[in-house]
Amino acid sequence: MGLPESLIASRPLLREALPTRKGEAEGGCGVIGLAASVPVAGRHLLQALVQMKNRGNGKGGGIAAAGLDPTFFGVSQELLEQDYLLAIAYLDGTAQAEVEGSLETTFLLEHALSLPTLPDPRVLGLEAPPPAVRCYFARVRPEVRARFMQAHGITEEAAAEDEVVYQHSYRLNRAFYASEGEKRAFVFSHGKNLLILKLVGYGDDVVRYYRLEDLRAQVWIGHHRYPTKGKVWHPGGAHPFLGMHEALVHNGDFANYASMVSYLAQRRIYPLFLTDTEVAVLLFDLYHRVYGYPLEYVIEALAPTTERDFTLLPPQKRRIYRMLQAVHLHGSPDGPWFFLIAQSLPRERTFRLIGITDTSMLRPQVFALQQGVAGIGLAASEKQAIDAALESLAQEDRRFWPHADRYWNARGGSHTDGGAFIFTVERGSFLCTDKFGRPIQADPLKQPPLPWPPVVRRARPPELPPAELYAWFVRKLPEWGYGDLEALLDELVRGATCDQERQWALQTLTLLLDRRYPTGGLKPSAVRWLLEQTLSRFLEHIRQAPSPGYRWLGQGAPVPEPEPEATLVLDARGYPSEGADSLARTLVELYRRGFRRFLLAHTRGQRFVGCGLGAASHGVHIDVYGSVGDYLGSGLDGAEITVHASGQDQLAQILKDGRLVVHGDVGQTFMYAAKGGEAYILGNAAGRPLINAVGSPRVVINGTALDYLAESFMAGDPLQGGGFVILNGVYFDEDGSLRDLDTPYPGGNLFSLASGGALYVRDPHRRLSEEQLNGGEFAPLGRADWELIRPYLEHNERLFGIPLSRLLDGREPGEVYRKVQPAGHQALLPEEAWVRKEA
Amino acid sequence: MPERSESVAKHIEALHRGFDLWPTLPFHPPALGDARWTEELILSTWVQAQTGRPPASGLEYRVGRSRGGFDCLEFSFLPEDRWLAEEAPIDTSIPLNRRSDGPQPRIEIPVPWYGAGMSFGSISEQVMLARAKAAQRWRTFTCTGEGGYPESLLPYKEHVITQVATGMFGVREETILWAPIVEFKYAQGAKPGLGGHLLGDKVTAAVARMRESLPWVSLFSPFPFHSVYSVEDHKKHLDWIRAIHPQALLSVKVSTPNDVDMVAVGSYYAGAHILHLDGGYGGTGAAPEIAKKNIAMPIELAIPKVHRFLEHEGIRDELVLMASGGIRTAYDLAKAIALGADGVVLGTAELVALGCTRCGNCERGRGCPFGLTTTDPELSLLVDPEWGAERIGKLYASFEFELREILRRLGLSSVRALRGRTDLLRYRRAEGGPDGTA
Repeated sequence: MGLPESLIASRPLLREALPTRKGEAEGGCGVIGLAASVPVAGRHLLQALVQMKNRGNGKGGGIAAAGLDPTFFGVSQELLEQDYLLAIAYLDGTAQAEVEGSLETTFLLEHALSLPTLPDPRVLGLEAPPPAVRCYFARVRPEVRARFMQAHGITEEAAAEDEVVYQHSYRLNRAFYASEGEKRAFVFSHGKNLLILKLVGYGDDVVRYYRLEDLRAQVWIGHHRYPTKGKVWHPGGAHPFLGMHEALVHNGDFANYASMVSYLAQRRIYPLFLTDTEVAVLLFDLYHRVYGYPLEYVIEALAPTTERDFTLLPPQKRRIYRMLQAVHLHGSPDGPWFFLIAQSLPRERTFRLIGITDTSMLRPQVFALQQGVAGIGLAASEKQAIDAALESLAQEDRRFWPHADRYWNARGGSHTDGGAFIFTVERGSFLCTDKFGRPIQADPLKQPPLPWPPVVRRARPPELPPAELYAWFVRKLPEWGYGDLEALLDELVRGATCDQERQWALQTLTLLLDRRYPTGGLKPSAVRWLLEQTLSRFLEHIRQAPSPGYRWLGQGAPVPEPEPEATLVLDARGYPSEGADSLARTLVELYRRGFRRFLLAHTRGQRFVGCGLGAASHGVHIDVYGSVGDYLGSGLDGAEITVHASGQDQLAQILKDGRLVVHGDVGQTFMYAAKGGEAYILGNAAGRPLINAVGSPRVVINGTALDYLAESFMAGDPLQGGGFVILNGVYFDEDGSLRDLDTPYPGGNLFSLASGGALYVRDPHRRLSEEQLNGGEFAPLGRADWELIRPYLEHNERLFGIPLSRLLDGREPGEVYRKVQPAGHQALLPEEAWVRKEA
Repeated sequence: MPERSESVAKHIEALHRGFDLWPTLPFHPPALGDARWTEELILSTWVQAQTGRPPASGLEYRVGRSRGGFDCLEFSFLPEDRWLAEEAPIDTSIPLNRRSDGPQPRIEIPVPWYGAGMSFGSISEQVMLARAKAAQRWRTFTCTGEGGYPESLLPYKEHVITQVATGMFGVREETILWAPIVEFKYAQGAKPGLGGHLLGDKVTAAVARMRESLPWVSLFSPFPFHSVYSVEDHKKHLDWIRAIHPQALLSVKVSTPNDVDMVAVGSYYAGAHILHLDGGYGGTGAAPEIAKKNIAMPIELAIPKVHRFLEHEGIRDELVLMASGGIRTAYDLAKAIALGADGVVLGTAELVALGCTRCGNCERGRGCPFGLTTTDPELSLLVDPEWGAERIGKLYASFEFELREILRRLGLSSVRALRGRTDLLRYRRAEGGPDGTA
């Protein structure tokens, strides 16, 4: 027998009925993870979790940390690395003696401590008392290990020890947690250099209650749970769940829980906690530790590559993946899910954060990377949670700054990135790779914004109109250091006290924020940070000294007199994300009072901005800065919204009329069931943009979409007033140059089941193929088509500085743009002609 | 709307005479109805829609012969001497907002039912108008379904629910703001696991205009909402509509999967006021055969399951539970309430009141011989909205009368006291041959 068979055979066979149903339904939840080359304190994770509270319901929160600080536990670095860290949750304190008796038979307990807590959980509003947690640093007794190895014919010591620990925890959980409904104690974690803690509450409550604000660790993950159950008295169902040396948090829901349970049972693995997150980590442990698969294969077994993506893999990979799928497909989780895994690899003294998304990309997920003298990688349900963690970290540690170099979405089950990213920390080195092991870099040659000396000799920016001044900045920037830029920006806004000067400064700053341009030796993300700081100072001036054209309102301040021509600066800080006092409802209220121009500053995840203005809101302009939340502009019917950053999920649902401009990316289901209006996106859309759109929406996406673009599109005939999407397939590289993507559309589903409207895809190298279409067909770009889309591309040029001439590259439009139209179109033309006569 | 021609007028007259006459004939028309909607139930519904009272002729008006569902349940009435007096006041009203949080108005309806979502496209604008007029007169509600909000309904908007379904056809901020109640259709009992489904034949120019889609192209709403893959997305989804229209009550319509109890609790925490359980016996004929009546849990099992789970969770009195899917008679209605619902939602029963014979040709644009589930501009003239409103109103009157009788015989002075009283129900084993006859 090989090691995997021996390990499986060493486990007792259970002959009980298997669970076929989860203990309770569970929602999407909120997840965040980070890994850094330097240890990061828990309070930064806390900030991210606070930001995402609306993704949980206070009935389960948890965290895991790997690569811990030994002083927190009062042990030596050596002991921390060599011993198993058993964290036991006592729901019933009287179980302690019995549990410890059980531990003694298997382990040599070298150090034990009870985790300090807040004196009273009620200050956090917790409805159930959190468990008392005792941590034991333990070694497997040599005689226990030897007996185990002999009994099961296992020769690898480390593998045997891990299995002894694993089986011990299982037995302990069965005895003290699962037996006869007595839930007295269970194992939070048992890996090396890994700690899991959870309670009935929110994820951030865990950090507060167990006093982890100052605990430093290399990798953190955190979770808010959303179980659909009223009364929860213990955190058995809360995430993270435990594998061996890893913890997993999960956002989603499996449809095939029963089949996964039976798959695991065939390998003598039996779940105890009745949630799909538990079976997910059990699978991970099986593939990773028992079968010893490389991480790439573990990910493939969990999230198989299918359809067109599979056919695009190299033959060697196809062969192996096909074998993996043949063996593991019925165990792989089906449904929407996104996993974040914190892992400790004790032998390598390495720590990893692994983010994996499901093949269909049904859950929100965003990854981010910042590389300076230190490196940090993050992944979360929402970008704004990442920004909250970075901002908090940057305040404490000048090696970091509040903007990541890169933000991106994984394309689940794809041949391009595999839908998974791994951040690896190994003795101070930091590496980000995709599923296939390809490194992801973020401007490694650029200079990080370490503290700089103040610039003494200050120059004034020349008095040019904003567009020319912007051009001047861009020309000069490569010669400057951070200090020069900061000083010039400061001068730009310092003297701006009257309306005219304010408009001048704001327009220039906004252009600098919106556009992509070469930044010389400076990091674009750090330049953005300086720009935002400047904007923040500028808006502070307006607060202190409003002018007729610029009013200010913030939480708790008196509402100024409405003036339709004036811009109202609305400081979003402190406004809730939803509900009666939310930012969105405040905006509606101000609109009703007569305000028409808004500048929303410092948004941090607030949802529904621009919703509720009602029909015919033409003439309303909303400029949004910061990290704005989901559902922005959903229902917009006339107004114009410009987002000077990336948007999140569900933007512009049912858009009816008006205009949305996003100087960045947009998330899931962008413009779902839109009816009309215009939208311009500088970057990419995530999954399912424009799904079920009807009427006449007109959209320019300059990047690409993950998949399922314009599924069931029903937007009439674009040449007769219907809708269309222009997909340009370009991006700006780190030097601000415009480049073509390898393919304008990587997905296998383009314009599926569409019956109306059209796509105009810029595909100069003819990378798109028929097999990506399902119900659509390529058609030549006619003169009428070009006349139709050219004005939109021209407006796109004005908005983003993406020159039409560069998009065409001197070629004929018909050689560059391809039209995709519904294949059934021709057959319906006679009917339509008849109907038009009737109508 | 086009002019009625003389031939249409004659046709209408003939139909109306038929609706009056057929229930009185000593023999029943051949090939009418099925075991669930028996010919007697159809004919007795016509009588009720004509007279406002149950038939006195001996026609069966309480149960069908399906040998399942509500047909196997009966009430254990009190002995006659313990009935409430005929003149005793009996309250048939129910609240639609029982949440203790939020600024939404406390809407009550005087009878424990409202009209189900049937879209413009699935039924004609005339039928929608008839339903809206009846809803207004009875101070209850009807629902747009997922096909847009015809402006002819605007005079009745205080009694019209706007439905937000997975295709979001015709849903705009404006149509959300018109509605006192917004219904999220996550699933439909007639075809769980499938989205809405309107075949190209019914997508006339007018229907396509309302939905802003293409004429004669079949319309499939996706399943599910692509923006909602979890309970927490569900809350965000409801929060969205609340951000647009904070005063609206929110209703969540779901089918009856095994974990419907979890769905109910999730909806409560997402902020729903009404949980609308749609069982598999309902729907018009316009659903794929494979889906009709073959999927999900029977409604008579789902109602008590959800009712008890909500009680166990301590939130039963914060949520209004409405049941639908094959509520044919006042007895069905009362049984659904006794099983644990607060009230019911009526769809097909209203169409039967307007002459539907359950022939099942609903998916064709010109398939409905009575001009109900049609989008044909001429055929839809067979229903005059005023006539239709009268018929539906009379059916409501009869249901109200019967409900009072049932409550009186149970010794209950309020329909609210009937909720969850499964002890007042008896299981009646189906007898006889396969069609339920002796």
